[in-house]
Order: sequence, then structure tokens, then C-alpha cells
Amino acid sequence: MNIGLEAIEYVLPESRRNLEELEAAGALETSAHRLREFGFEYAFTSKEGAFDLASKATAALFKNHDIEPEKIDALFYAGAIASSHSVNESREFLSAFNYPACRLQYDFGLLNAIVAGISQTGCMGMMTAVKCAADFLAASNAENALCVSADVFPHDAKREVIYNLISDGGCALLVRKNATRNFLRAHRHITKGYYWDCVARRNEIIAAYFPTAYNIIRETLAKTRTELDELAWIIPHNVSRRSWEILLGLLGISLDRLFAENISSIGHIIAADNFINLKDAADRGKINRGDKLLLFNFGFGANWGCMLLEH
Amino acid sequence: MILLMTGASGAFGRGMVRALANCAEIEKIYAMGRRNAFDFSSSKIEFARADITEEITIPDEIRCNLSAILHAAAETRFSAPLGAARRVNVDGLANIVALASRCPKLDRFGCLSTIYVAGKRTGQISENELEHTAGFVNAYEQSKFEAEQFLHRDAADLPVTIYRLSSIFGDSRTGAIVKAGAIHQALRFFYHSFVPMIPGTAKSLVDLISSDYAIAAVSRLFCDKFEPGRTFHVCAANDAMPLGELLNAARGCFLRNRPEWRKRAIEMPALVELGTFELFVRSVEEIGSPVLQQSVDATKYFAPQLAYPKTFDDSECASTLAGSGLERPLLQDFFPRVVKHLINEKWPVALDIISRCERI
Repeated sequence: MNIGLEAIEYVLPESRRNLEELEAAGALETSAHRLREFGFEYAFTSKEGAFDLASKATAALFKNHDIEPEKIDALFYAGAIASSHSVNESREFLSAFNYPACRLQYDFGLLNAIVAGISQTGCMGMMTAVKCAADFLAASNAENALCVSADVFPHDAKREVIYNLISDGGCALLVRKNATRNFLRAHRHITKGYYWDCVARRNEIIAAYFPTAYNIIRETLAKTRTELDELAWIIPHNVSRRSWEILLGLLGISLDRLFAENISSIGHIIAADNFINLKDAADRGKINRGDKLLLFNFGFGANWGCMLLEH
Repeated sequence: MILLMTGASGAFGRGMVRALANCAEIEKIYAMGRRNAFDFSSSKIEFARADITEEITIPDEIRCNLSAILHAAAETRFSAPLGAARRVNVDGLANIVALASRCPKLDRFGCLSTIYVAGKRTGQISENELEHTAGFVNAYEQSKFEAEQFLHRDAADLPVTIYRLSSIFGDSRTGAIVKAGAIHQALRFFYHSFVPMIPGTAKSLVDLISSDYAIAAVSRLFCDKFEPGRTFHVCAANDAMPLGELLNAARGCFLRNRPEWRKRAIEMPALVELGTFELFVRSVEEIGSPVLQQSVDATKYFAPQLAYPKTFDDSECASTLAGSGLERPLLQDFFPRVVKHLINEKWPVALDIISRCERI
């Protein structure tokens, strides 16, 4: 069984603002100068809701990859923040049950797809969705699972979370049982509930981030006896380039194996960075058939996730 | 023997004075310290408040009868700026040496130093070596190195012996600490999930000694075995613990003494190259978080020593103390006792920020 990520599409909002514009708008906690030193430059902000971005990404996936809607067996919808899991919120209490996953199923005619939402893993949402999809395919006769993620920060929210510049965005991808690329070779997910209060434990989270990341990456590779030097690329989540320098320093991996192009140009798209970067790295001809790719992610909760793919 | 001891009001000095008071050869101890008088409960001991960074004047009747000086006063903060460290550790020493040169009956001058005058040297460090150009991890090391140079250069006519101490961890019998130092702070930060990384490898040796051994060894070397011109390493030497083993031992102590600590799932600090550690320290300084700043401050002034692997040879000390009945407690044995004491005493280590952390 070669479960893999067969196709990926994403959408970014039209509005792109640089650090100085964001600083002038009071959207940063840290100075623009410092965030630039940490590797950031632009953030995308959406006037549309998360569902609209999710819908556009899904439409692009179906259009560009000739996928038959009725062959989708499951839809896993990921969103990091609570507002991403409801469509057209109104004062009517019941509108909290207006789930975007169900609406996507209807809008795109996914008649045979069961749906589920993935929340409470923060920026790990899409990676968690992919793992759920892979496990679902492995445990059933199902062939195809769709994973969709979108988050849009509230208009009045800062565009920075713990020294990372945040963009809105949506992503959709197809996990296929008999895929032709991006085979899922290993995965590991660690949750540490001690850090559940991301406001009170902000500093401890920063300190815990590195050693846990170091360990989960090594443990993920150990599952397939893969050595660090066998990795062609590290496909990151777009937290600061500086934090990647530190993490790769811990691991003893050269920074030139990090696909870091999108950190400055896009910023951290909450739950979908790894997969947006995977698509861009492939589209830009950076990845060759058979390359081993390491995807690492972190989400509040706190959650650490790591995935080993073979392109 | 009529002794003048500096640094007598310091945490280590107080214990040292009490031990020396038990030496039969010592008739009188003039204990000098920066802080207020202490009750040493011994008629042998007379305490005087003094600051060694100023000229030392003592009554002629004392000066003329002094036969021994033990200089223990020091600026021991690893974070002290070089100027402040030099002011106490070099200029202060010069003031004591000036006094010593005016003591006609002086037949011994002991000076406490640190094994870390070796700075960034690597490999085996012998007791009879000083000069090097490897550099230093902090200003404390450099100032004590310069102090030893001063003694060799400007006190050659005095009967000087140097006692280079390792880091003092705690009492081998009770686990009590004499003074919360950088190592205790770092352990507390580890306990509270604030030590993400340490420079070095699992094999990097951590040299720590017990306070009771340090006091007894210096006391015997100074009172019973004094020989001018010697330098002794009072350290763990071959019993130093590998960093990986030490961290595992600390974690084991946390789990045994606070089983609920396990729920936090706090990772062992990653052991990294110095460059990565320094990049992390720089990043914390740039983001300006006081909490994280304090946590890196707890390690950045001493932990880089671990990136310069070395072992300290103490054969001079060991052979001199052989037959004295003094056994060096094994670090592996007393380390858990000290960590347990730290936990049970709710970390008697002054760190404001930790008070905000959940107490277990």
C-alpha cells in the first residue's frame, strides 16, 4: 500500500502587506526590523472568511487534478482557530453547527465522503488531518481522502504569534491509497498538555519547542531507519528562519537543505505551511523522484508533528 | 598559628572558618568579611568587617603576630563584568598581598582560586599549569587567572600556595547547599522546562565537589600539609560526571521526589554545539523576554565550559592528602542528595520569574 499525497493546491488572499505596513497598522508585537532579522517580510490578510478560502483551494484541487468528486471517500477539514469551524456565524446559537466540512461536501458533490473536523491541534491541523486520512485509507477499502484547511485571523488580531508572522490562507490536498508520489513513510505526533495554556506558558513553550522538536524528528526517522543525511529537503512550517537555524543546528543539518523560500514571501499560514511548501518546492523543480522529505510542524496545545515522505 | 582569613562572611568562607577553628595548630583567627559580624561560637575567632578592594589596615599588634593568611574573598558571580571581577579578584588580592608583605612572622599564604583558570583549554589540565591563550568563558575565570598571574609575578617572595576549587554543589551528607550557584539555578530552570539546550556532548565532564570535602581538603592542605609554591586542584577529577549521566540523574531525582513532575513531560535539554547555543542565546536577547532572558542567563555564563572538554588532574592534591583519612565523596553518590534537598526546600535559589510557575 503506497499511501501518499497525490495532489496539493492552495490559495492566498489578494492583500499582501509588508512588515512596515503591518507595523504602522499596529498589527505587530515585535518591531518590523526584528521580524525581518528573523526571516519575515510579507503577510497575506484576507477579507474573506476561512470557508471561502477553503472552498477556493478545494475548487483548484478538483479543477487542476481532474478528481472525480464521487470517488472521494472522506473529507477531513482542519482549522486551527474556532471560527474556522463554522460557516456564516450569526447570533443564532444553532449556527455554531454550520460546519464548513459538510458544506464543502455538498458544494463539491462529495456524495460518498464522510466528513470530520480536525481542531485543537493548532497549526498542526493539516498534518493531523493527513495522518487521519492515511489511517482511514489504511484501515478501510477507501481509496481517496480529501484534506482541507483554512484559517483567517480576526481583523483586529495581531499578525504575530510568538515572534512569527501570520498569514491567512487555504489549502486542499488529496491523500490517495495508491498514490504516485509523496508516499507517507513515517509519522509521529506528540501532545504535551502541560502547555495547554498558550498565554500563561508562552515562554515555556518556546523553551520546550526545541528539545521536543529535536527528539520527534529523530524518532520519526528512526521508525524507518532513515539517517539525517539521507534527507533531501526539510519542508518546514513557516516559523522564523532563525528558529529553523537553531533547530537544524541542534540536528546537525545544513541550512541549505531547508526549503525556506516561503518564510519571507508568505509567512506562517497557520495550519498548511508544510503542504504549501511541499507543492512549491515540487513545482519549482527542487524535488526529485525518490527524495526523502521531512515535514516538521508545531501547534498550540501543545503538539509537535513530524512526517517523512518519499517523493 | 595566628590566621587572618578573608571572605569569612561568604557562604563558603563561614564553613571554612569553622573548620579552621578546629585545627589544633590555630590559636586565633581574624576573620574578615564584607558583611556584618557572624557568631562563630568560638573564642578563637574574631570577626572584622572589611572590604578588600580598599587598603587593608589592621592593628600593628595583630599584623606583627600574623603567621598565616588564607585569602578566600572573591567576586564569584559568573555574570560579573570583567572590571568588577578584576576589582575584587585582582586588585583586592593585591591589597592582601601588600598586607602580607608587612607581616614579619608570616610563614604561609593560601589563596583560593578556581580550576577554571584553565578557561577554554581542553584536555588534561595539570595543577602546575597556568599560562595559556585559549581564552575564557566568563570574566570570573579570567580575573582568577590574572590573580594567579599576579601571585606568581608580584608575590614571589611570599610563601604562597594556591587552592583551585571546583564548583561546589552541596553537602555530601545532608544535600544542603552553602550557596545557590549557577548550577543550582540551571537545575531549577530544567525542572521548570526552561532549559532547551546546553552546549556540549553527553560525554562532556561536569566537575562538581561537595562543600564538606572542599572545606576539609583546603583546611588540611593549609593547616597540616602546607608547602609554599604548590598549586592544588580540589576537584572531582576522575569522578566528574558525564553531562548526559548528570542530566539523567537530575531527571531521575525530579521523578523520584516529585512523581507528578512526570505529567509535565519536560524534555531533557538538547546537547548542542556551542554555535547553536550562542544563536539561541542571541535570539532570546533580541526578543527581549525577561523570563527567557533569565533562563539563558542561568546557563550562558558557565555552560559553554562544557563545549571545551577537559579533565582536571588532582594528583598533587591526592598524594598530599593521602593517609590523612579524608575521602572525596563520589559525585554520583551525593548528587541525588543535593537535588533532593533543592526540591524539598522548594528551590532555595533566587529566581523571581519561577515564582509564577506552577509549583509542584
